[in-house]
Amino acid sequence: MNERWSLAAGHVPETIVLVLLAVAVLMAVGEGLAAFRRPRAPVARRVAAGLLALRLAALGALLAVAFELTLRVEQVTPAGRRLVVLVDASASMALADAEQEGDEPQSRQARLEAAWQRSADARVGWRDDGLVVEVRGFDLGSRPYTGELAETLAVQPRGEGSDLARALGELSQPEPDRAPLAGVVVISDGLVAPDPAADAQVRAVAEGLGVPVTTLSAGAPHIRDVSVAQVRAGEFAFVENVVELEAEIVAHGLSGTATTVELRRNGLPVASQSLRLGADGVPSEVRFEVAPDRVGQFVYEIAVPPQPREATEANNTRAFVVKVLRDKVRVLHVAGRPDWDVRALRTLLRRDPNVELLSYYILRGLDDIAREDTTAALSLIPFPTDELFEEQLGSFDLIILHNFDSVLHQVEQYLDNIAQYVEDGGALVLIGGDLAFGDLGYALPELAALLPVDTRTRAPLEHEPFRPSLTEAGRRHPITAWLATADEGWAQLPALDDHNPLSTNPRGETIGAATLLSHPDDTDPRGRGRPILAVAEPGRGRTMVLSTGSTWRLGFAPDLPLIDGARPYDLLWLSAVRWLLRDDSSGRLTLETDKPRYRVGETVELQAKTWSAGYAPEPGIAVSWSLRPLAPGPDGQPAKALAEGQWTTDGLGRAREALQELPVGAYVASARRELAEGAVSADDADGLGEHEVRRVFIVEPPGRELAEVDADPGITRLAALAEATGGEALSAVDGDALPRRIPLTEPQADRDGLRVDARRDLPLWNGWVALLLLLATFGGEWLLRRRQGEP
Amino acid sequence: MRPTDLTRRAMLTGLSAAALVPAASLARSGTPSRGSEPPSPPGDAAIPAAPPHGPWPDDDELDPFDPGLFDPFTARVGGVDPSTITIDLPQMRYEGRWNPRAGAMRVLARELRLRTRLEPVLEPSEVPAGSAELFATPFLYVAGERELPPLGAPAEEALRRFIDLGGLILFDAADGGTDPGFVRDVKALLGRIAPASEVAPVGRDHVLYRSFYLIDAPMGRTRTHDHVLGIQDEGRLKALVMRNDLGGALAETNEGLPAYPCTPGGNVQREWAIRFGVNILLYATCTDYKADRAHVETLLRSRRWR
Repeated sequence: MNERWSLAAGHVPETIVLVLLAVAVLMAVGEGLAAFRRPRAPVARRVAAGLLALRLAALGALLAVAFELTLRVEQVTPAGRRLVVLVDASASMALADAEQEGDEPQSRQARLEAAWQRSADARVGWRDDGLVVEVRGFDLGSRPYTGELAETLAVQPRGEGSDLARALGELSQPEPDRAPLAGVVVISDGLVAPDPAADAQVRAVAEGLGVPVTTLSAGAPHIRDVSVAQVRAGEFAFVENVVELEAEIVAHGLSGTATTVELRRNGLPVASQSLRLGADGVPSEVRFEVAPDRVGQFVYEIAVPPQPREATEANNTRAFVVKVLRDKVRVLHVAGRPDWDVRALRTLLRRDPNVELLSYYILRGLDDIAREDTTAALSLIPFPTDELFEEQLGSFDLIILHNFDSVLHQVEQYLDNIAQYVEDGGALVLIGGDLAFGDLGYALPELAALLPVDTRTRAPLEHEPFRPSLTEAGRRHPITAWLATADEGWAQLPALDDHNPLSTNPRGETIGAATLLSHPDDTDPRGRGRPILAVAEPGRGRTMVLSTGSTWRLGFAPDLPLIDGARPYDLLWLSAVRWLLRDDSSGRLTLETDKPRYRVGETVELQAKTWSAGYAPEPGIAVSWSLRPLAPGPDGQPAKALAEGQWTTDGLGRAREALQELPVGAYVASARRELAEGAVSADDADGLGEHEVRRVFIVEPPGRELAEVDADPGITRLAALAEATGGEALSAVDGDALPRRIPLTEPQADRDGLRVDARRDLPLWNGWVALLLLLATFGGEWLLRRRQGEP
Repeated sequence: MRPTDLTRRAMLTGLSAAALVPAASLARSGTPSRGSEPPSPPGDAAIPAAPPHGPWPDDDELDPFDPGLFDPFTARVGGVDPSTITIDLPQMRYEGRWNPRAGAMRVLARELRLRTRLEPVLEPSEVPAGSAELFATPFLYVAGERELPPLGAPAEEALRRFIDLGGLILFDAADGGTDPGFVRDVKALLGRIAPASEVAPVGRDHVLYRSFYLIDAPMGRTRTHDHVLGIQDEGRLKALVMRNDLGGALAETNEGLPAYPCTPGGNVQREWAIRFGVNILLYATCTDYKADRAHVETLLRSRRWR
């Protein structure tokens, strides 16, 4: 330990004062020197020297006071230098590769540990040289390795990323109490930059340190792996619209191998493509075109089956979330005759900005045409049957044939197209009236088999006001459940004017047919009330038959009651349209996440809402929820719940849950409510689909650690890094060990090379000694001059 | 589409083979059929959808001017099939000159039957102001002359609810523009029952002028005003104020002759008035159907747009 002395100024006067002071001191020194050389009176040389000494001492004392000089005494020791070893702990270090094709692969981590052991002598030598050796592991962050870990580096590498730039950047932070950084060693497979921009960043940060970076590559050139390296998919898609999902498949050591790339939705395969794997590192493009058939949030996965002796299977699948939205709903409304019911339905549909309504109403009959004034300018346009029912049919989400006589207008010959449209997922509504079911226009077997009523017999309209009865199925069905909660059911609602006396489809059970509203008095031959409102779910589509064209009465009456603030007509038809279009918001319970995808560590928020039968928020409802991984368990059963609980919705029918610390993966959250009528059986839930709702989401790593596995680019990257910083590039696969003389910065000769252990400050200007010195020097010189006869 | 199967079709529809031939010749001809209207049959033969059934009406039930009488295949009684869904054209009755053009709605109903697929009742009803009967039909005809006396709070409340729930009121000034009293009172009434809305001219580009016929001006017995007034709200017309005496152009004597001369255009002007009445009812039942893009584009292509 040494002492180091120095002077420190406590106060620096202003510039003008400094200038005046400097001039005064120079003049005083100059005059003293002149007097010393040519004294005006004969004085002894010794006395002259004494006068000059007193003058200089006085000036020194004056400057000490003016600058408030302090004597600083420091005890210092040599600081030494620091060498930081950064060890890659990301998941790619667990991959096994080989130096030669056909060699037994070895994991990069094992290679790393072996090289570290080979470098044991060098490490001892570094310490002997006074180097402070600091070992740190890095993946997404960095942390120190100490004790046994620093000696062996034996860890299980599973980091979800390799952020070398961040680990290097942390070394550039000023640490005054630590030994200065003299060098860095990076031990890695070099897969630390997924793109050129990240590569440049790593190099820039390393060069910014100003010390040599020595690299030890742990990777080997031969690896056997196939990975879904990249996926290109939008976050949103529209239902029934084709969306393209693209993926890049990259293989190493599997050139020419035939495989199958599979596209899954929520764990279930939806498409697959054959693929012959390309040469090492050459991406193969795979493109899927899918048309989502329903709205919602889905986890899609693109997966390649594992190959024999593959380095890892973790990169064979890549998941992403697509939120499927409904494009503008395209509705075709065809009416056989304008009337108040047509007016009401058109007004309702036109009011919805999400509905693109295409209407064709028959404004003239054959007899009207016969009487036509050929000179009158009419606004009528052709009824493009071919275009509507053949060319454009598939573009409609919903077709409403409203009191429409299909035979007379030659639509009857397109009914097989309409039947196919329904089977393919379309929605069809038939509304009764005086034209609809009187001409057997819907008796075509292909279509009749898809309807909940029997259209193979004539059912001419009967005019007799009635109030429909709500059936048991109607109480639970989303189209009519609101009636079950109304105080008086239909009794408080206006009577309907007429109905077509239809019968239920005798084979209705095969298409899930259900009568929701029935006639209170008119019964079919089997004694059951004639269906007024009936629905079915044939194939992938849905059908609804309303055997009356007078539901407009539910929206236009002098004492019309509002249910949940809405007109009964709106409730009936909006519920029907939602059900027909499979709108997932048609349920009594909805479940959402605040985002479809989260980065690991982010909080996931589940939000549930409960709705009354009239689609008003329903408070105080018990909702049970659970969260489980999307992938099934080993036995094929749903995975075990990671979290579950019970909510009770608040005054606005809401409930929420924050989920934290979820690991990377795809999850499904589910919520379930009980209906007011009592416990809901599993069958009911399945049948209605509203009591239990699911929402999927994924938790992603910040980067794609295993998207790139080939070590070759990593080896090149590490070599370039060493060269750019003046370090040395080493390779573990070649048996290299870290050298005893590792590249370091030269030790600095200035004070930066010393560490201050203690410091003491002695003020020279503010004590009595300083005053006495000032008086003694100035006074002594004056007295001595007087005695020598000088002025 | 399946191929046209005449045999099956015959079974399904019950049509005679003779009747099938022209219909089949139309099927899938590759050209669009007459639109918003059924396909035109060849010649003048109208093919009914079903064979005749039901009772034949007594002579005293027959309307000698009803064309339905000349259709041997229908079961119409007085021109109206008993199973048909009919629409009423009710007229409001109130204290005062509520019916200055008696029978106007009956004539309009007849013309609608003759010209369109609408099936109005033979005898439109009269409904007292303020009664629940107003809500039997979302259309109301209110005629008057010189003034519209105060209807009273209950009646005004009923009218307010009527238009709020989706109804359309047609006010018709029998003065034909010579006396502003009725229109002034109507505006005051509308100001009370729809205070947030303004009675304003209905623009020439409104679908009302092309809901069936293409029309340039709203003519009635007179043509003093070249536009109608109305209240438009929520994308629809809630009230229309016709100031050219539409009822005067429609009304007939017991002999079936025009009750009032139309000035200055005579019978041509009467025809335009009838067409405008037809358009109003087509608007009432179809709303802005003719404003749909498909219709507008077709009309533009055919250069029938005005």
